[in-house]
Amino acid sequence: MAHDEDTTARRLLIQLARLGDLVQSLPAIVSLATRYPHQSLDLLCPAPLVDLARLFPEVGRVIKWNGIRWHTWAESFAGEFQPSCLREVERYLAELTPEPYSIAYVLNHHPRAILAGALLAAEVQGPNLHGPLNHELSPWAVYLRQVAHQRGSNRIHLSDTFCGLCGVNPPRTPPVFIPSTSNLSGDLAEVGTSAGQWVAVMVGAGDADRSIPIEVWSEWISLLLAHESPCGVVLIGSERDQYAALAIQDGLSPMIAGRVWDATGRTTLPQLATLLKRCHWAVGADTGPLHLAAAVGTCAIGLYFSRARVHETGPYGEGHWVWQADCASPAMWPIQASVKMIREPSTIPQQEPVAGWSLWQSSHDEWGAIFRRVDENDPVEDQRAAIWRQLSEQRRPLQGVR
Amino acid sequence: MNSFETNIARLTRRDSALAAALRQREGGALEIVPARTGVMSARINGRWIHSAYDPIKEAQAWAEGQSYQDGETMVVFGVGLLYHVEALCARLPRTASIVVVAPDLNVVVDAAAARVWGDWMDRVSWAWGTTEAIGEQVAAAGQPLRLVTYAPAAAFYTDSHRAIETVLQRGVASKAGGQLSIAVVGPIYGGSLPIARYAVSALESLGHRVRWLDHSVHATSYHQLELLKNSQHRLALQSKYAEMLSRITMAQLAEDPPDLVLSLAQSPLILPALEHLRRKKFLTAMWFVENYRHLTYWQQLAAGYDFWFVIQQESCISALKQAGAKDVRYLPMAADPSVHRPVDLTQAEQDEYGSDVSFVGAGYANRREIFPRLLGHEWIFKLWGNEWNGATGLTPVLQRNGARIDTDTCQKVFNASAVNLNLHSWGGTGFDPDGDFVNPRTFELAACGAFQLTDRRALMPALFTESEVATVSSPDDLPGEITRWLREPEGRVAMAAQARRRVLAEHTYPHRMRELLSHIGVASPDRIGSILRGTRQAGALASAAGDAFPSVASTLGTFPSTQRVELKQLAAQIRSRGPMGTLSREDLMVLMLDEYRSETKDLV
Repeated sequence: MAHDEDTTARRLLIQLARLGDLVQSLPAIVSLATRYPHQSLDLLCPAPLVDLARLFPEVGRVIKWNGIRWHTWAESFAGEFQPSCLREVERYLAELTPEPYSIAYVLNHHPRAILAGALLAAEVQGPNLHGPLNHELSPWAVYLRQVAHQRGSNRIHLSDTFCGLCGVNPPRTPPVFIPSTSNLSGDLAEVGTSAGQWVAVMVGAGDADRSIPIEVWSEWISLLLAHESPCGVVLIGSERDQYAALAIQDGLSPMIAGRVWDATGRTTLPQLATLLKRCHWAVGADTGPLHLAAAVGTCAIGLYFSRARVHETGPYGEGHWVWQADCASPAMWPIQASVKMIREPSTIPQQEPVAGWSLWQSSHDEWGAIFRRVDENDPVEDQRAAIWRQLSEQRRPLQGVR
Repeated sequence: MNSFETNIARLTRRDSALAAALRQREGGALEIVPARTGVMSARINGRWIHSAYDPIKEAQAWAEGQSYQDGETMVVFGVGLLYHVEALCARLPRTASIVVVAPDLNVVVDAAAARVWGDWMDRVSWAWGTTEAIGEQVAAAGQPLRLVTYAPAAAFYTDSHRAIETVLQRGVASKAGGQLSIAVVGPIYGGSLPIARYAVSALESLGHRVRWLDHSVHATSYHQLELLKNSQHRLALQSKYAEMLSRITMAQLAEDPPDLVLSLAQSPLILPALEHLRRKKFLTAMWFVENYRHLTYWQQLAAGYDFWFVIQQESCISALKQAGAKDVRYLPMAADPSVHRPVDLTQAEQDEYGSDVSFVGAGYANRREIFPRLLGHEWIFKLWGNEWNGATGLTPVLQRNGARIDTDTCQKVFNASAVNLNLHSWGGTGFDPDGDFVNPRTFELAACGAFQLTDRRALMPALFTESEVATVSSPDDLPGEITRWLREPEGRVAMAAQARRRVLAEHTYPHRMRELLSHIGVASPDRIGSILRGTRQAGALASAAGDAFPSVASTLGTFPSTQRVELKQLAAQIRSRGPMGTLSREDLMVLMLDEYRSETKDLV
């Protein structure tokens, strides 16, 4: 590539999806920075995620993608094309970057991300091989599509496919970022300050079908806090999860309610990162905050069901756990087993099987994250090395859009 | 020099004719009273037209609330002491064109005497004189126009303002060349169903792209619900059914978003759907072709539509406004001359459908009470229509055992009858004492060139003269009037011919639809107005894109120059270059905007 040795080359990574995808882009960021140590790497992400992204390691400038502004332009059109509006768009894009980037890495197979890459950089590397109008996919995008359709025996984590899309290998060690010490207000300042196990519970999920039922959480927390040792639970979620958090607390005995801290809708994302860092464990479905917890080094226990698959989007790093359901809507939940993991970590290898669920632990090697079944009963062979070699051989030269 | 002389001297430099005209007036329209803040305020007939406490602050708040787009001419209705105009001048860019409409120069005299105007007055143009003159002055100020009303002062001149608006609308209508995309949402069944059909046809005849969301296809299922004996179940399911049809409508609208959603009375759009449409920037209008006193569901929908068009005047308009409607206009019924027209009948048809006196319609209470008085006379009376069960006295004259009469038969009856009775429906006895609106039958009979005898209606004189439609004031006078007109065949023919000429000249559905769109065009100059003016056509857009966006201009050049082009079409044209097509930066911007547009219109 022409810019490989050019120290003036400016690189831009584009991630316009939600919190979970942004956090799972960290390995690609770190790998790109390692591959091109003397070139700047900037990050374009949605405006609400900018403050968090500024804490990421190896990122130069974080550029805010203002979706609301685009929506306003689109709505002001009310369907009609107004050439004058293009002038405003032009000014806005010039504010983002006066000069185009040398190369943009696009991580989402979404027209907006692809168009943003084409608008902001001279060359684009991502899902499309030949720009926005040509839908021929890059080898890694083809692989991702196959995984989405068939799933099957895939063992390559989404974060590592992001690396593949960017043309770099996974990082040698999983990245961990240290959140700045954000001020936590009121009772949240107490989190993590006293002895005992602090457990972050992810109340909500992006979609309703991926949320763990309220009564499951009430039972889970009741069981955890029934133990004699001091323990604290922090309920994590956004404003829209506040009702669920209240409902969970309603289901708790007043005797233990004093050991529950409700942080739903009360933190900024940097504060959330701080809060999660202060916890010893983070438990929840496949959500952005669970990935954030793993990224700040907190041990995560995922309860994966619905469309969530451990091998694709398990918490990235070493020593995390995932309970994977056999079906989309489990009838029973590994409540006792997962509580026991926190109370008695040493007994994990001897975990009793839970009907309808399997337990997986994460580790990391040269091909990135890998989850291994605790009972060693994984019938699928790890083919990551072969797939990486095969897809790397298919790599093609970059294509500009103009 | 007092403030009047100072102001007139300033005005003379800008409009000497107006300054001279003001010197001829005495003023006295306003009662000038100091406000609590010390500046002058004013009253008319004891009502404050500016704040009694702080007129300046009030005017600033009003000005802040007004929309404005670059290039528009702001036309201000309501003069008062001009605090609001001063505030508007302060708020808008100096290049903004502002015209104040002054139907009564005495108010301007009072305003000039009350306080000294500042430099802002040099930015203001005046439209004054006759209604036509004002219309011409406003039109000459430049397009597009945005009409804004300072209501406290305008309220005393509503008739003048309405007349001026009509002149402006006529201007819009005469220049209308752009093609709108309009979705007409019809009812499941009922009297407004044929009106929806006529409206669709009229809009198409005006050159617009019309999609009729015809809910009559759901009528059979809906009627099945009426068979449920348990009223609680029936009402609950009917409500759910209407909700589902509302969702279907939204899905249909989402597939091809129109510029305007025009509902006819009884269309199944419910308030939450209308609110959602507004959030998604759809313009909505309702032509409520019902008697607002009888069907009152408008109360729940008033705030949902951007525009209401009604067939009744003041009391109806104020009731809707009180219920939350923002813009309500009178738009009477009409006829479709391609459907209702003179026909040559065979002798057999004349024998079957013909009579001395006839009536076509449903058996409302007032008709059941009046028609028996028409029996036993020397004339042949034929009664056509349904819902006459129980009216045993009328059985001898009831045709086809009270079967529902279709449009074709109706037209033949109209053409074959010497005297067509046209009694507006009412739930009481005699004629409706509040009878105001004129029903569709009046226009349809006239369009057929058929003679009609109608009960007197308050709004009739503005639509038909006494030499076009014969009216009767009381049921007691009906037999006498029938006898009289049966004896005057030439008079009947002459009146019917005049009535038909009037319909063709003024009262067809294209007339109504043109008026409706003109009003919406004047009220939304940057949307419907601009489309009607043709500024959304490829040629005009290409000129606007010009040198600054040559690639976009070039793509626009691939469309026929008079074809209307939206962002959607432009983006589709760019995408049509195919996988090997090259994209400029402008093309990419257009595609990105279109991505957000497609989400904006996601209604379901």
